[in-house]
Amino acid sequence: MSGLILKNVSKTFAGKLVVDRVSLELTKPGVYGLLGTNGAGKTTTIRMLLGIITKDSGEITWNGQEVNRKDVNFGYLPEERGVYPKVKIYDQLMYFAELKGLSRPVADESIHKWAKRLHVEEYLEITAEKLSKGNQQKIQFMTAIIHNPDLVVLDEPFSGLDPVNTDILKSIIIDLVKQGKYVIMSAHQMATIEEFCSNILIMNKGKTVLQGNLNEIKATYPVRRAIISTNQDISKYLKDFQVEHEKDFTYTIKISDEKSAQKLLAKLIENHILIEKFEVEKPTLNDIFIEKVGASSLIANLESEA
Amino acid sequence: MKMNNFRDTWTVIKFTMRDLIGRKSFRVSTIIILVLIVAGFNLPRILNAVTDSNFNNTVLISDPENLYNNQLENLNSSELGYNFKFENLNFEEIKTQINEHEISSAIIISKKDDVINLQYIVDNAATMASTPTTLVDALNSLYTNLQIQKLHLTSTQLAQISPQFNLEIQQISDQEIGGNITVMMFVSILLFFAIYFCAYQVSSSITVEKTSKIMETLVTSTSPRTIVLGKTIGIGLVGLGQVVLFTATAIFSAYAFLDPELLNSMFDLSTPTPYLAFIMILYFILGYFTYALLYALTGSTISKPEDIQSANMPVAIITMIGFYLAYFTLIDPTSELNSFAALFPFSSPFCMPLRVMMGIASGWEVIGSIAILLITCSLIAHIAIKIYSNAILNYGTKMSLRDIIRTYKEE
Repeated sequence: MSGLILKNVSKTFAGKLVVDRVSLELTKPGVYGLLGTNGAGKTTTIRMLLGIITKDSGEITWNGQEVNRKDVNFGYLPEERGVYPKVKIYDQLMYFAELKGLSRPVADESIHKWAKRLHVEEYLEITAEKLSKGNQQKIQFMTAIIHNPDLVVLDEPFSGLDPVNTDILKSIIIDLVKQGKYVIMSAHQMATIEEFCSNILIMNKGKTVLQGNLNEIKATYPVRRAIISTNQDISKYLKDFQVEHEKDFTYTIKISDEKSAQKLLAKLIENHILIEKFEVEKPTLNDIFIEKVGASSLIANLESEA
Repeated sequence: MKMNNFRDTWTVIKFTMRDLIGRKSFRVSTIIILVLIVAGFNLPRILNAVTDSNFNNTVLISDPENLYNNQLENLNSSELGYNFKFENLNFEEIKTQINEHEISSAIIISKKDDVINLQYIVDNAATMASTPTTLVDALNSLYTNLQIQKLHLTSTQLAQISPQFNLEIQQISDQEIGGNITVMMFVSILLFFAIYFCAYQVSSSITVEKTSKIMETLVTSTSPRTIVLGKTIGIGLVGLGQVVLFTATAIFSAYAFLDPELLNSMFDLSTPTPYLAFIMILYFILGYFTYALLYALTGSTISKPEDIQSANMPVAIITMIGFYLAYFTLIDPTSELNSFAALFPFSSPFCMPLRVMMGIASGWEVIGSIAILLITCSLIAHIAIKIYSNAILNYGTKMSLRDIIRTYKEE
């Protein structure tokens, strides 16, 4: 089977189970979201699928072949940003390109192509220590994709970038998927994951707490809120609801189901309230994440106390 | 998909060499050492120039009682290293001449109750380089000869009074030692510094990669074994290049600036140099690898530059023990301890090349020493690469010995 498949992958460090039977499938080009709090096991999972560290048990295959460090040539942007501070940007890009199997002429072409796309051409002949953190991050992003890998793992790709550079990176990721590349993205910004990923995996304390197609997951969650904008105070109609936020006659209220929202709408119309906006909001990934990770953290804490 | 180990190792070697040579600190220190070498070999000339222009080595000898019967000028032929001036002056006149730097010192000869008094006058006795014993001996000898001449002895009687002494040295051991021990010790120190500083570079290079967080990108690009070997070979080649450059400069300077007689007394130039050069380079390479891989191991166990010193301390102690074992046993190169130092892998790189240089190492001894060093080096390489592979992604505090052993056992 093509693509990346992890089956019941586990890893223990110093007697502590840091990844516990994690499975995921990325069988067609796209962006797969890997979520979790700090210490959830994301980086260890990424290092195992890249072949940097060995798994204790389970199976990791790429295009049907067992993954090991000697054979894979994936692209990787680690969470820990790093460049050689005293080496010219061009030299270090050439170094990594050659290590990833490119000949010097091909590497040179690739370096200039990506430098132009990421607006860092003028920095190629200066040392990395003279670059801003954002530009250093773009250089490291270049090392991840310079050899045109089929699978790219991006750990927090947008952290520390300004909006302009974030947009540049986003457009590149979209292009990579269009070119048939497989991307695994780990991020703390849920909006970013929602924007890019069709499938997600949420980890907490080494375990998978939620996994699957993002839209399907959202569909299984009940609606949470309704946002109502009017031209007058409607507080008296909202006594049965918890008002989360109110400003300039725009109310965000908590609802238990869509039916109760419909009832409220009918009541407002009945009382001739002019409604500018009435929106029933579906749960965000952020809501789902907090619910899942919060609940499982509580269970884990209770288990450890017991 | 890919992984051409040889090509990757060569890429790491090239990058490491370019990085090291490109550093300003490296280039500046190399130039300073080259200048110091050239200046060092010019030291005798510089000292002579300074001595000629500023130092007056003239000794005035005053013999008012003419005890030497006007024979004092014979001192000029005795090559004592002094210029002599013979004039009968009193103390005040001598004092004036010393103050005006016309003479450096003076001797007033007098006799009282059969005792010859030599009054040695200098500007300041505390700053006197040494007591002029050779001069006193020469005066003594000259005076004795004068007295003997007065006895009108026959040539046979004279020969009996002052026979010729001939010193002949014969050793019991059949080991012939060539070369100069001081020079050997100097070469030992040079080998030590070359090996130690090059090996230390490996540790700091790995720590830079860890502290700059580049390691994670690096280990997804090639294998840890390739990184360790490429880095070690790269730094070693630059170090070897430096050693060859320094040695060539030293040899050139020695021939260009040193007195040929002094040079011949220091080096036995008839030594078969290609074999010696081969042995020295071989021991440099093996010694360097042994220590460099140990430093690669310690470098991979830390992630903060401030921990380098303490992590490297055990290796530094091993290096010191190895070096001092070789260095101090060189005082007696025929001793059993020196033979042991030539076989012990941590001291043999500093010891065996010198035994070969002195011509006291047998072929079997050299082969045995190289074999032990090779086995040790391979063992350290195996352990270092394994620990490095497992420890480089450790970003916590400095690893303890227990952590290192646990890391070694990890798959």
